[in-house]
Amino acid sequence: MTTTSSTPATRQGPGESSTAGGTETGAPRRRGSVSRILNRMPRSAWPLLVFVLLFVIGGLIRPNLLSLDSLIGTATFAMILAIASFGQTAAVIQGGIDLSVPNTIAFSALSYLTLIGPLGPVGGFIGALLAGTLIGVVNGTIVAKLGLTPIVTTIAMNGLLFGVVLLTFKNSELTVIPQFLTDITATKIDVFGLRVAAVLPLGLALMLLLQFVLSYTGWGRSLFLVGSAPETAKLAGQPVDRIRIAGYALSSLLAAFSGIVIVGFYAQASATMGSEYLLGSVAAVLVGGASIAGGRGSMIGTLGGALVLGQVATLVAVANLGSNIQQLIYGVIVLIVIALYAKRGRD
Amino acid sequence: MESQSTGGATAIAVAPPAPPEALLVARNLTKHYGAVTAVDDVSFYCLPGEVHALVGENGAGKSTVAKMLAGAVAPTSGLITAGGVTLDTGRIRDARLAGVACAFQELALVQDWTVAENLALPDGSPLRGFSQRGAAKAAEALLSGLDLTHIDPRAQVETLTLADRQLVEIARAIGAKPKLLILDEASSALAPPGVAWLFTRIRELTAIGTSVIYVSHRLGELAEIADRGTVLRDGRVAGEFHRGSWTENQLISMMAGREASRAFPAAPPLPVSDRAPVLEVENLVAEGLNGVSLSIKPGEILGIGGLQGHGQAELLRALYGAIPASADGWSIDGRAVKRLTPARAVRLGAGYVPEDRKREGLALEMGVGENLLAPWFRPAQLGGAPRLASEKNWMSGVLGSLSVRTRGPLEAAGALSGGNQQKLVFGRWLDRDRRLILLHDPTRGIDVRAKQELYRAIIDLSASGVGVLWFSTEVEELVHVCHRVVVLYQGKVADELDGDRLTAEAVVGAAVGSASKHKGLS
Amino acid sequence: MTTATVRPRQAGALRLWNAPGITRLRREGAVAPITAFVAFFLVYVIINPGLLTRFQLQTAGNLVVPLALAALGQLIIVLVGGIDISIGAIMSLANVVFATAMVSLPVPLAILAGIAAGLACGLFNGYLVAYLRLPAIAVTLASAFIIGSISREVMDRPGGGITPEFYLATSGELLPFIPISLFWLAVIATGLWFVLQRTALGRHIYGVGSNMDSVSAAGLNARGAQLAAFALSSVIVSFGAIMLAGSTITGDPRSGDPYLLSSIAAVALAGASFTGGRGSIIGTILAACTLGLVGSLLFFAGINSYWQYVISALIVISVVGIPVIWKKIYLALRKANS
Repeated sequence: MTTTSSTPATRQGPGESSTAGGTETGAPRRRGSVSRILNRMPRSAWPLLVFVLLFVIGGLIRPNLLSLDSLIGTATFAMILAIASFGQTAAVIQGGIDLSVPNTIAFSALSYLTLIGPLGPVGGFIGALLAGTLIGVVNGTIVAKLGLTPIVTTIAMNGLLFGVVLLTFKNSELTVIPQFLTDITATKIDVFGLRVAAVLPLGLALMLLLQFVLSYTGWGRSLFLVGSAPETAKLAGQPVDRIRIAGYALSSLLAAFSGIVIVGFYAQASATMGSEYLLGSVAAVLVGGASIAGGRGSMIGTLGGALVLGQVATLVAVANLGSNIQQLIYGVIVLIVIALYAKRGRD
Repeated sequence: MESQSTGGATAIAVAPPAPPEALLVARNLTKHYGAVTAVDDVSFYCLPGEVHALVGENGAGKSTVAKMLAGAVAPTSGLITAGGVTLDTGRIRDARLAGVACAFQELALVQDWTVAENLALPDGSPLRGFSQRGAAKAAEALLSGLDLTHIDPRAQVETLTLADRQLVEIARAIGAKPKLLILDEASSALAPPGVAWLFTRIRELTAIGTSVIYVSHRLGELAEIADRGTVLRDGRVAGEFHRGSWTENQLISMMAGREASRAFPAAPPLPVSDRAPVLEVENLVAEGLNGVSLSIKPGEILGIGGLQGHGQAELLRALYGAIPASADGWSIDGRAVKRLTPARAVRLGAGYVPEDRKREGLALEMGVGENLLAPWFRPAQLGGAPRLASEKNWMSGVLGSLSVRTRGPLEAAGALSGGNQQKLVFGRWLDRDRRLILLHDPTRGIDVRAKQELYRAIIDLSASGVGVLWFSTEVEELVHVCHRVVVLYQGKVADELDGDRLTAEAVVGAAVGSASKHKGLS
Repeated sequence: MTTATVRPRQAGALRLWNAPGITRLRREGAVAPITAFVAFFLVYVIINPGLLTRFQLQTAGNLVVPLALAALGQLIIVLVGGIDISIGAIMSLANVVFATAMVSLPVPLAILAGIAAGLACGLFNGYLVAYLRLPAIAVTLASAFIIGSISREVMDRPGGGITPEFYLATSGELLPFIPISLFWLAVIATGLWFVLQRTALGRHIYGVGSNMDSVSAAGLNARGAQLAAFALSSVIVSFGAIMLAGSTITGDPRSGDPYLLSSIAAVALAGASFTGGRGSIIGTILAACTLGLVGSLLFFAGINSYWQYVISALIVISVVGIPVIWKKIYLALRKANS
């Protein structure tokens, strides 16, 4: 008997079981202590394990890779990717995606550099973040109220921002990076006796804060609910539209933040500075264990995914294989990850 | 299970061997879904030209057996042979090629196709050419051959009524010219003229040697159409019967088990209260609803009856704010209602148990605890583990009072059985200061024990002063447990029954439009 | 004029509106892009009557045709309920394989090589989606990386052996005022239309997007249909890549990149449903033409062509969003009046 309600995207047909059994808590059918340990660990820890594995493998190939310096170098690169991907994590968890990340990064970075003139470094910072939030609110409103798919909405927004960036900013005049920004990104500081770029502890703190929001606040849990079962969320009386809009607002806010971090760390800005983060952020999120359909994901996992991708980049650079091979390996890794996670979900 | 002989219907201990001329033989069919056993060692056979009924309560496993026969689901173990061909691949295509066609309970029509496409495309090779006009003509021929000339072959299936869609689904199965036709609850959306049409078609088919497997829980139909039958209960064979040799009571006791758990708990007498009605609505209009007026007192259980597709789903959704609706007068617990959304309805004290527990009631990937807390997340408050800890008492109270079998609040909701899942959807509203609970067929597809537990929970709600609006497709539930029943027909109230007038015959009669009184206003 | 003569004319128009082909186009969402294109074309011609000269028609055709073919490729994937993030990469790969093959092989074999390369990608994606049941967006994201890097291995900078004769054969004129690129587009689109509307496979493809389980329940090979859709899509995209190579007389490993986002925008503008089962060829082509020409429209209007990005985005959002807003306003007005 079919429901007469608004059409769900997939209607259950006769081939689907009406009394499907469980997935997570059937007694683990696998044998072996390794599998049992893996099963006990949260999904978000798996990429960290892979990272450690890759790190060790790298050390076997090239012993000088087993150094703290190399670890910190990779981690720094990965942390920047992770910061750019935290927003994407929120978007994917709620069952959407944010393809406006690249030009939000560019727009926010360039606005920041433009605004520090009239508003000062802190004022410019706040201004750029506000602009980012506004972008996300527009994205979320279009998705929630107009019903446009997130892919189309965020692609359109990405294009729109590209045009705005080209029309508004003259790059040649934006060269001054304020000291305040460099201090919180590129400047090396002492952490537990190690000299690391400030962006590392910054990103870590941000990750912990965001993970707290995801795991321990009502809004965070309702984000998972909306991503995992939007109709259920609506019929349980949750304000799904508001939750979605807030989710996209957070995504764009974080993308804007990462834009400022990127321009601070690399000390350069251009209209295309964000383009590698389009697929890169989604890759980091997927390798981190999020489900592209929504309802699953974590900030810790995203950091783990970024670390894996970063270590791959390090290995490729050391073996002098070229950025092409790096892209190829990225693709293969994402493929393996989604195949593995799909299989695990089906067991 | 001891072998009992209760007149002509027998409860069996061991399956008798199938005669050599049997068209369909099912042996030791078993189906596990993870930890849940849906079908356990079911065996039966069907002779050519015979109508064989598969009978049982909702959740007894008859639909799963039908799906295995149709090739939609591969059995975990067991053997199916149809016309000498073994069917075990779990591919519908193979079953259809072997001459087995099924009209599925969850209609397997492609909504975006036209009727003609749904009738003309099945079984065909993708490399054929296709013309809309040719398909429409072939469809017209098929439909008129089946006496279904009122259906437009060029209409998109999405635009048809539920009843017409069921007719098209049946036509598609018959159009495959099968040796074995499986009808899975094929009459669920049909009014008596439709059922009569169906029986005529069945007789046409059996006259030429086609066998028919008729899956149903409507005993009245079986008396007319079934030659032989198998009764299932809790996934196992509970008995067999053949035409003319059984009584309804025998079948019911086989379907329900020894405890005669068909006995429904009676609703307690209505508490006298001078509080405002928990729900009062006058001339409620929405898409599919043409002016319904209702009033529910605190503690009253109001049943909603009628054939499926006559506005009951829309009524519940409208009252909860899930679809746009307007009314001349509308109040929940005495407070006026203007534009209602589910969020606002919850704030006003309403709760809703939707039709599809898997897609609308639960987040299957999330835990039991978080599913219970789904309506109660607040953005700025704590969620996740700290919230589960602080709500431990409430959750264990709910899980205990409903006897939910689960490992704990962290177990994924998808791992629970259907009955326990339904209890979660129901339980999230308990002890949360609700005034009105809207139930959409909460006992559909769950086992007998879970049903009993739900009945008791509903009665407890009523005793504590909560108003209950209960749409059920099982007339017996309405008649025995509800204080009052309103029957909908074509989006309007056809009749309102209570006291002595509240009988199964009256409900069914009003459902098909033969009410003695027409009620526009309550 | 008497009422007697007015009524039959109205009935004729209404009959046309309800004719089976037109009804199908309405259902597939084609009204919006057709209207948008007509309006856009009129504005364009008013601002720049020079469009209707032979040279400008040729240029416009060459500009628009690769996008239209990429959009058609994306449409087919969207029809089966997926999305193809690797479409730009497939285009790049077919482009460079063709250009490289042109150096040493005769033209027909080079074309075959380009299409074979694209087809291999389509089969790869299709197998993972249809038979391993992996989500299309994730699979094509990964294959975008992989296919893109393969393209850059084949050719790391623009080059290839494309000849001026080939340019004329793909980007010249068939007849005065009829660019040959539009002719090829029409041929391919007609072939695609035939497959989608006049073969059972095409109906299966639409059905799979609507409800894959129901298609299986009809005894059909739903997975095969989904695989066929990916294969068909990649072949069409490869044609687009060859047309692109012809019009630029080079193979370029990054040539396909811009087409990812614009193909998705074009399919959205075409009114296709991203949950699958709904979308029209003519709508997609006209949507692609509209979006593809925004840049040159602004050029002729003397507006900074950076505005094309803003305007394209606004066109997509408004064409898809306006019907929704209109419906809400209409319902609200109706409720206020009742």
